Amino acid sequence: MTATVVSAKGLTKRYGSFTAVDAVDFTLEENRIYGLLGRNGAGKTTIMQLLTGQLFANAGDLEVFGRTPAEHADVLRRMCFIAESQRYPEDFTPAHVFKAAPWFFENWDAEFAERLIADFRLPVKRRIKKLSRGQLSAVGVIVGLASRAPLTFFDEPYLGLDAVARHIFYDRLLEDYAEHPRTVVLSTHLIDEVANLLEHVILIDEGRILLDRDADEVRGSATTIAGARAAVDAFTADRPVIGREGLGGLASVTIDGRLDQAERIRAAELGLELAPVSLQQLIVHLTGTDLAGSTEQEKAA
Amino acid sequence: MTAATATPLVRTEGRSRANEIWRIVRLHTVNPSIFFGIPWIILGGAWAITMALALIVAGASGAPADDILTGFRYSWAVLSPQWYLVVVGVQAISFTFSFALGFGATRRDYWLGTSIMFVLVAVEMAAAIATLVQLEKATNGWWVGAGMFDALWYGQSGWLFDFYTSFALQMFVLFVGAGVTTVYMRWRMKGMLTLGASLIVVVLGALAIITGANAWPSVWAWFASIGLLGVFTITLGLALVCAVGGYLVIRRATPR
Repeated sequence: MTATVVSAKGLTKRYGSFTAVDAVDFTLEENRIYGLLGRNGAGKTTIMQLLTGQLFANAGDLEVFGRTPAEHADVLRRMCFIAESQRYPEDFTPAHVFKAAPWFFENWDAEFAERLIADFRLPVKRRIKKLSRGQLSAVGVIVGLASRAPLTFFDEPYLGLDAVARHIFYDRLLEDYAEHPRTVVLSTHLIDEVANLLEHVILIDEGRILLDRDADEVRGSATTIAGARAAVDAFTADRPVIGREGLGGLASVTIDGRLDQAERIRAAELGLELAPVSLQQLIVHLTGTDLAGSTEQEKAA
Repeated sequence: MTAATATPLVRTEGRSRANEIWRIVRLHTVNPSIFFGIPWIILGGAWAITMALALIVAGASGAPADDILTGFRYSWAVLSPQWYLVVVGVQAISFTFSFALGFGATRRDYWLGTSIMFVLVAVEMAAAIATLVQLEKATNGWWVGAGMFDALWYGQSGWLFDFYTSFALQMFVLFVGAGVTTVYMRWRMKGMLTLGASLIVVVLGALAIITGANAWPSVWAWFASIGLLGVFTITLGLALVCAVGGYLVIRRATPR
């Protein structure tokens, strides 16, 4: 049995006339890895700040571990959220952060933290202000991993990390998750990098949820059909098209939905090529409204 | 099968509330230089300058230490760390508060822990300054007539009086800095402007009323009647107002 850790209904956060999070409904279940995906300014960080009680919602119901998170110590102590733009006390060093962490996270594993510090080659005596973007991300990643909080948030963990460090994060997270299952929410706009980590995808754009599905389902949910323009257009005529590209007499069209056996055979007979759509491509198709719009116009002209 | 039931909240924690508040005090002292290091560096610097001045004056004039000491009565050097401590109060809310929330502290525990920290710092500074006043008097100005601590109102009514006045002043600067910053953290610039404008209106209003009623002599008479002790008790009262106000405001404040 899986327990629900977070349940949000009609959750809304407004800043003046700007609606950052617009009446979203979603649930997070125990011991899964969620991807909170979306473009910059989509509302990812706002949602995480609402879930961790840092912000107060303007409307809607929110329960985290069965309770409103804000000001409830027994809910808050089960969460870890180091924001991408986290502020640290004046003149703090990573060493100070790791020294204070065990007072706040009861499952803190100091040995694991030490190992991660070595892995990421983090200069623990350097002031936080002087760290590079990647080193700053590493501080958040190390706290997130070593805290082993039942609900852990990683806010843009890949920002500025080099390829080796990204790989370390990926490996360590999966290793540790296998041994100590917990609910992980990972927000990022670098989707291809994390695609394989995710078990569930929540895609948000302009404060609304566009997609809330199992990651495996999402991966197979769209298909790209390429070939001669006339054949492609005929084949996709009555299907939900989410993306279209063309070059001369050739066209490549992405449709939302799977093709069954008979359809695949028909496509092959028409000389069309079928290709799977990566998570990133799908998300670009779903959220890149401007891009899609311009190609549509191009075709009409 | 997924059951959409909320996990019942199991209160397994052996951690007491006191611990949740105390860890905030510890968080403030992880980097001890902020509350304990820098104030003493500032005070130490001011003391070194005072000593140098005393030696220069003694060398140039050959005046006896007692006379030089009288000249230092109006030195403000003993108050030099106060400006820095206002900034510490501001930073405790603008930086450390955001960090503590990220680590899962509640706003209430954060404010209570920070208040305990402020009280501890005020006691420490006040006890040290009151003791240094006595030491300075006992050594007749560190043997060269340098008067830094035995200045202004200090050194005239005994250790306890010096302790109490320093404590009140210390509490005031810390809580004013922190309290005003909670307004910013909750209402941002709009709140700061409103607070500033209201303060100006209140002060101008009070001045207008007193001047209009020709009541300045009785105001001064009242200040004279409550004495220094009364003035510092008002200061301590203002610190408490900021402490309670800050608690109410921070409960709905959001980090930047």
